[in-house]
Amino acid sequence: MLTTGQYLGSTGRLEATVGTFEFTDDHEALRSTVRAFVEETFPEAQVRRLMAAPSALERPVWERMARELGLQGLVVPEEHGGAGAGPVELAIVLEEFGRRLVPVPFLSTALATIALTGGDRAVTAGYLEAVAEGRVVATVALAEDDGGWDAAGVHCAAVSDDGDGGAGDRGGWRLTGTKSFVPDGMDADLLVVAARTPAGVGLFAVDGAADGVSRSELEVFDLTRRLARVRLDGVAATPLSAPADTAAFDRFLDAARVAVAAEQAGGADFTLAMAVGYAKERVQFGRAIGSFQAIKHLCADALVDVESARSAAYYGAWAIAQDSPEVATVAPLAKAFCSDTFFATAQTNMQVHGGISFTYEHPAHLYYRRAKSGAQLWGSPRANRDLLATRIGL
Amino acid sequence: MTARAGADVPVEASVEQVRAQVAAWLAENWQPGGGGPQWRERLVDSGWAAPTWPVEWFGRGLHRDLRRVVAEEFTRAGAKPAALDVTQLFANTILAHGTDEQKRSFVRPLALGEQQGCLLYSEPGAGSDLAALQTRAERDGDTWVVNGQKVWTSGAREATHGFLVARTDWDVPKHRGLTFFWLPLDQPGVDIRPIHQVTGGSEFNEVFLTDAVVADSHRLGEVDGGWRVLQTALGFERLIMGAAAGGSSRQRRPAGGGETTLADRQSPWTRQIGGADYVELAKKVGKADDPVTRQEIARLYTLEKVNAWNGLRARADAGRGASSPLASIGKLAMSRIVHTGVSVTTNLLGTSSVLDGDTDPVAAEVNRSSFAAFVTSIGGGTDQIQRNIIGERVLGLPREPEVDKLVPFREVRKAQATRRFS
Repeated sequence: MLTTGQYLGSTGRLEATVGTFEFTDDHEALRSTVRAFVEETFPEAQVRRLMAAPSALERPVWERMARELGLQGLVVPEEHGGAGAGPVELAIVLEEFGRRLVPVPFLSTALATIALTGGDRAVTAGYLEAVAEGRVVATVALAEDDGGWDAAGVHCAAVSDDGDGGAGDRGGWRLTGTKSFVPDGMDADLLVVAARTPAGVGLFAVDGAADGVSRSELEVFDLTRRLARVRLDGVAATPLSAPADTAAFDRFLDAARVAVAAEQAGGADFTLAMAVGYAKERVQFGRAIGSFQAIKHLCADALVDVESARSAAYYGAWAIAQDSPEVATVAPLAKAFCSDTFFATAQTNMQVHGGISFTYEHPAHLYYRRAKSGAQLWGSPRANRDLLATRIGL
Repeated sequence: MTARAGADVPVEASVEQVRAQVAAWLAENWQPGGGGPQWRERLVDSGWAAPTWPVEWFGRGLHRDLRRVVAEEFTRAGAKPAALDVTQLFANTILAHGTDEQKRSFVRPLALGEQQGCLLYSEPGAGSDLAALQTRAERDGDTWVVNGQKVWTSGAREATHGFLVARTDWDVPKHRGLTFFWLPLDQPGVDIRPIHQVTGGSEFNEVFLTDAVVADSHRLGEVDGGWRVLQTALGFERLIMGAAAGGSSRQRRPAGGGETTLADRQSPWTRQIGGADYVELAKKVGKADDPVTRQEIARLYTLEKVNAWNGLRARADAGRGASSPLASIGKLAMSRIVHTGVSVTTNLLGTSSVLDGDTDPVAAEVNRSSFAAFVTSIGGGTDQIQRNIIGERVLGLPREPEVDKLVPFREVRKAQATRRFS
């Protein structure tokens, strides 16, 4: 097993992100390290075992991910025990996890980490260190029962204990409301909760074990991503930054869109490879079915989309890394396009596989399920395209 | 010109050396604002017009990675780099397959622009299946007599010669009986007619060959070895298209380390619909709030952006020496963009999209573009052929069985060989 020090290169950290799409040797080393880890640790049989288990989280593996690979600390700043890497490196890891439907709460924890790094370090430092060490599983509770993924969908009320609840109020807060569609919400030790203050929507840290938190697991279609409904009844909470920092909230949402897009690009890429592999080996009418243009052209069209999806996710990651104003358009674009692409490719994959894809034993349906849930969580393709339309001036 | 400048010198070692050589030559030979035939002649004879060509054939024998260095020095001095070793596909092909006598006769006139070429490949009966061409060349002593019809020939009316592929053996399978010629066009047996296109323009021609003659000394490569020469010529054509599509893969970033953003890299086509872009047009026709319109425009914007990013990523990959499937998908992606763009604008215009001409110049432009979109989806290999290429060469899927592969061409079922379009 390679360690953080090995894949981060001799300087001990990833080289500062350079020109867009210019992957460095360190990036490639990170990718191959993570790919090897995922293939060894989460083969399909293990994914299926975790699907059937009461929880997909096995703490020893989670701790090993942190200790030996430094994955949870990847985007945690160095002064808080992380690798200080950025969105490009995170995109690479998420792409690799997406390829194999890794069911551990990595994406959830990564999104919470993004929120934490965007917050006030006086508040978040302890959490960041705990995440980097693998002691804590975290998630973000954004949507509610009506399934909205932006500030307008946040109704959960944040009430200040002792202050006036204005923008500068940093005292104790209490949250009351119901969050739903919370990824890995049953396993999370730390919940980053979007809640509404009198001054606007902000992000709050909530201890999963705090009084007033009650959770229930939702029955879901995607067997490799679990969701929970979380009731908050006057739960103690700490704002990550000034409670109505709308700009910080928007920045977080855009970063989350790009991160999810990267995971979807990985899933789409792997799904296409499955389809192409099968088209080469499956024989009907005396020839490999991939020689039929009906199949070949499906795969060629999918390749155009899959490569485009990867470009969109990478470009989004680089735009965030460079703090470019383009983030505002690239993030919803990438989420919408990668969602559509993964779903379309998962459909193509089932179609190319024919009857065998209709069996539970075959993995094609697991990707279809993941593609469907990923498309809707963190904002549907339609909602993200509408946001894009607004942001390009419509 | 006597030393083989840089040919055997490792690239890294000779960059500064080449830079100095170019700068010195330009200092001596280039006047700002200059140009014209005399300059052209001096440039071609210096070898700097085609730095990677051999020293004995109007080049400098440099490694292709040094093209960029030469171009940079020219640009720095305010002179346009000729880069004939990229753009002159005729000379490139002749240098690859020609005899010394052919190189002596043709390369310099081509480099000077005294001779110009066109491509006599496609026929009415040989489009996607180019190897099924039926124009025949029959030997008569030291010359060949050519009969048949070529089509989709751009630049034929300006050209002095054409790269001609003709069938010289009908009793072997289709790829094996073809021969490649450099055919002089100024002769009675060559009749060039402009094709009246659906766009209203006439960029393409059809070329009728009736007992046209070409000397055997104008044959490139072996008799019946034309398919190989053609592959080389097609490769040089792709090199030009690649250069036009995005410039050098090793383009330098702007001074200050800034990254080129894509904000100003819009497809020129979309920005010129009646002088307004989609967003402006949607507002103008009062559909900016229409949910379907918003989805369509966002989707089109997405397709354009991801294709531009694919291009950037392809160049970054190529710069690292990494193999990448991206270079192969751009044409198919662009086809979807242009057809989607037409659909979006047509939906925006609604009923007025049926108008044309001066009655509604915006609609007229959209209508013209709707036909122009087929240049992308049909020209240079249809979308369907592109999908075959992607499927087979990128994804490694097996080829479709070819019924004519091992059959003498004489016995193969063929399309109609000639058909007049003009």
